[in-house]
Amino acid sequence: MRHKPIALAVFAACCATTSMAHADDAQLKSEVEALRAELAALKSEVAQMHAERHTPAIAAAPAASAPATGTAPGSVAAPAAVTTVADAGPGMPNRGIPLTESTTLWGYGQLDYNRPTAHAADAVADLTRAVIGFNHVFDENTRVYGELEWEHAVTSSEDSGESEVEQLYVEHSLSQNYGLRAGLMLIPLGLLNEHHEPTQYYGVERNFVEQAIIPTTWREGGVAGYGTTDFGLSWNVGITTGPDLGKWDPTSDEGRATPLGSIHQELQLAKAHDPSVFGAVNWQGIPGLQVGGGVFSGKIGQDTSKQTTGDPNTAFFPADDARLLLGEAHVRWQPGPFDFSALYSRGTISDTRALNLSFIGQPTPVPKSFWGGYVQGAWRALTWAESSLVPFARYEMFNTGASYAAQPFGLGTPALPTERVWTVGANYYLNPNVVFKIDYQDFKYDDISLGYGNRFDLGLGYQF
Amino acid sequence: MAELARARWLLPLGLLALPAFHAAYATQYMSVGEAQKAAFADAGEFRAMPPLDAAVASDLGAPGWSPQMFEARAGDQRLGWLIIDRVIGKAELITYALALDSAGTVKSLEILDYRETHGGEVRLPAWRKQFVGKTAQEPVRIDNDIKNISGATLSSRHITEGVHRLLQLHERVLRAG
Amino acid sequence: MKFSRQAAPRRAARVVVAGWLACAASIALAGISDLPTPASLGREIFFDTSLSASGRMACSTCHDPAFAHAPANALSVQLGGENLDVPGFRAVPSLRYVNFSLPFFFQADGTPTGGLTRDGSAATLVDQARTPLLAAHEMANVDVATVVDKLGLSEYAEDFRVLFGSDIFSKPDTAFLAALYSLSAYELSASEFHPFSSKYDLFLRGQIMLSEQELRGYVLFNRPDKGNCADCHPSTRQSDGTPPVFTDYTYDNLGVPRNPEIPANADLTYFDMGLCGPYRADLAAQNQFCGQFKVPTLRNVVTRQAIFHNGYFHTLRKAIQFYVQRDTNADKWYPLDADGVPQKFDDIPFPLDRNVNTAEAPYNRQPGDAPALSDTEIDDVIAFLGTLEDGYDPVTDTADPARDMPPPPAD
Repeated sequence: MRHKPIALAVFAACCATTSMAHADDAQLKSEVEALRAELAALKSEVAQMHAERHTPAIAAAPAASAPATGTAPGSVAAPAAVTTVADAGPGMPNRGIPLTESTTLWGYGQLDYNRPTAHAADAVADLTRAVIGFNHVFDENTRVYGELEWEHAVTSSEDSGESEVEQLYVEHSLSQNYGLRAGLMLIPLGLLNEHHEPTQYYGVERNFVEQAIIPTTWREGGVAGYGTTDFGLSWNVGITTGPDLGKWDPTSDEGRATPLGSIHQELQLAKAHDPSVFGAVNWQGIPGLQVGGGVFSGKIGQDTSKQTTGDPNTAFFPADDARLLLGEAHVRWQPGPFDFSALYSRGTISDTRALNLSFIGQPTPVPKSFWGGYVQGAWRALTWAESSLVPFARYEMFNTGASYAAQPFGLGTPALPTERVWTVGANYYLNPNVVFKIDYQDFKYDDISLGYGNRFDLGLGYQF
Repeated sequence: MAELARARWLLPLGLLALPAFHAAYATQYMSVGEAQKAAFADAGEFRAMPPLDAAVASDLGAPGWSPQMFEARAGDQRLGWLIIDRVIGKAELITYALALDSAGTVKSLEILDYRETHGGEVRLPAWRKQFVGKTAQEPVRIDNDIKNISGATLSSRHITEGVHRLLQLHERVLRAG
Repeated sequence: MKFSRQAAPRRAARVVVAGWLACAASIALAGISDLPTPASLGREIFFDTSLSASGRMACSTCHDPAFAHAPANALSVQLGGENLDVPGFRAVPSLRYVNFSLPFFFQADGTPTGGLTRDGSAATLVDQARTPLLAAHEMANVDVATVVDKLGLSEYAEDFRVLFGSDIFSKPDTAFLAALYSLSAYELSASEFHPFSSKYDLFLRGQIMLSEQELRGYVLFNRPDKGNCADCHPSTRQSDGTPPVFTDYTYDNLGVPRNPEIPANADLTYFDMGLCGPYRADLAAQNQFCGQFKVPTLRNVVTRQAIFHNGYFHTLRKAIQFYVQRDTNADKWYPLDADGVPQKFDDIPFPLDRNVNTAEAPYNRQPGDAPALSDTEIDDVIAFLGTLEDGYDPVTDTADPARDMPPPPAD
């Protein structure tokens, strides 16, 4: 089994040799040298593998296919088969995955314990999520990337768990600097949405702003282009499906907890009459500093009243043209052992007046605007070899119903009060991929139906 | 009107497809040869070095590890070394070239091949510049003297660990030879 | 609301097209009128008084289309039997929008839901139609064969043969089932049972604005801290765009006062306890359901003259006052004992009176508390409920459930 990739690699090396026919002589010479060295390395490795059959850290490189035709003259195929260990530094555990196939598995998970201080009987322990991800390489420029998630441990029609595909897209790189994606993708807004593994954020729960305003984990189906530039700007633009305002439930608390989270479609037979567009940029031209922002916009009315699923004589939807506009800006600065970040996001939904008129008096009308922001500081206070202790503090302000469209006779809904939350706690990294978390959250306004109320949290997260 | 409605999806899709025409001209990689020239413009010869001794590799915490090593020479003068190695980013291998001068100080770090769907920011020149001037006597640790990249945590961590290992390799093997 | 000027000509065009289609359809129907359908046959049966022992009672007697398919009178219970003098046990519900009803089931949390009639004991409209044809206090036929004999003598007997075979009347059980099926097909398919022609429907479609009082009433109807009516009588369109039917098909125990107008109540040991009997048998052991009756639709509720399962209230105002003052002013609704203390929930025997809903608004109050709705607020809610009456005419701002109903079949 394990010899097959090596054989393929050798074969690929031969192909690469052939493909170099047009390279200039000097370069050719050095390349041949390189290949000789590689072959020698391969031979020694094969011998070594016979000797150490059970060594887990050996990783044979995947077979690299010959370079695509049309490659500009002068550029040569990548070194076809440089064998190496996956990754193991002195004094560090081998985290090498034997990369003997072109499919790789990875994953993360999170277990939480929440204990409201005023209602201790409501304490909950939960296996919040377990995620398996995969990456399969079709050829050197094309791969499929997917993430499968189970939430709340048990999933069935009678349990509260959910089983979902969180990402699933094919990516084709057109160069080292840019490429295209198509499929179910994470919307690149905010700091968390694309990087939501528990080791990546401070505190047991993800921050409220990036749940209530930016509905992490937010994904849509569509196509996108992405790239990076040498001066540190990375960009990502796309055209995707969008939320469905027809799903709004004015009787439920969910729209108050997260307006967009309550109407996202997750590519589940998603209504797709109107495409949405997004654009996001990040600048990381100075190491340790990240400045970025993004916008998402689309019609979320989806021409619902013209759909043929309802009875055309009676079905009606008064917000066919409603449009969502969500913007976001963020900065993260990591000087030395410190980690500071700040984020602000604001969204608006247009044409909600007639829809809210039909909901008048209901607890949760559609907001006209909603916003939130936070500042956060963390300090890598203690480090022992692989372990570290990082206390942090975060202050958040957010409002999921900052304004509502006016209604006749003064019967409209007043704006919600702005919630403010302090979170203080610490992440203890047993190693960079396993984290224990503890924090205390202080809410300005308690709201039992949304789970807002001072509480004490414990968590465990991992990533591999 | 109907055409406009159709254009709602098709036009932007078409625009997105435009870069595909450019694909044929795109530079896909920096080759080993290009990396050699970029790091040691004055070198007349890149002498391939024999594979790493298995015992040394194991000793450095990486059994079976065998980076590709070249000695850069100009006449009888040794200019330094160029080492090609790979680490895993999140799911796929990153190929990089580390150039050391004759004293074992990092001269440059180039990413030859990065294909993964996220974390490509390790290619940013500003980030790679952090390694220039590093020696085996320095920590070369992420979140210590090397800043991580948010959004490319694993890639930046693993490359840093790889450079750290190559500096130790220089200390153990290359300097003496 | 959006009333775009461009929409007006388009709407006018739509009306013209609709009118033309209606003409075309009626011509087509006239052409094929000799081809009966189960629904057309069901309609004949629905209006046929000859099927009753009295010869004076049809389905349409108690389910009068002009009164939104509910009784035309204010009797708590209707009279039937051979001489139309045998009283029933429960108030007759409206059949409007019955096609949206769900089969009886328990939700994941154990909440009983769906089913037909006040206690959900009829699983389907076929089951439901069986009862009145045979019940002694209704159409009072002695047996199935009697009904089938009458069907065989009816003017539409030939339709029966065309649809179900020339020998259908020689198989009484099958013929009876065919009649029930036809009735069910009529109730399920005919738009006269679900016209969605109320002022509220026009409002939901954005074609009309409610008055200030109606809107205020709508707010009070929806608000969880006021009427909280929408909690069981949902007022928002369903996910496929279907307008609301104003019932969630669940069951509740409201503690409605015992109604002396029901002759059966003269027996002090008799209690009608809905889900747990005595008419429904399968849940008799489930004490927690005793006293629960199905939440009815509120569409056309302003045309009701006997409200709740026992028809105790005869005006909507009294019924709403009861909702909001049951616990704040119990002495207005229940008999007082020797010490002047009101004997709440007198239509449910102790200790099952604990089943009465006292947790949710507007019942979650104590004596001395302000009622959830003031008298003027009740006026507003009634104004809103008025918008749920079918057959709305924007020109006169009046509604009539009989409007646009096709005439009953000629005798």
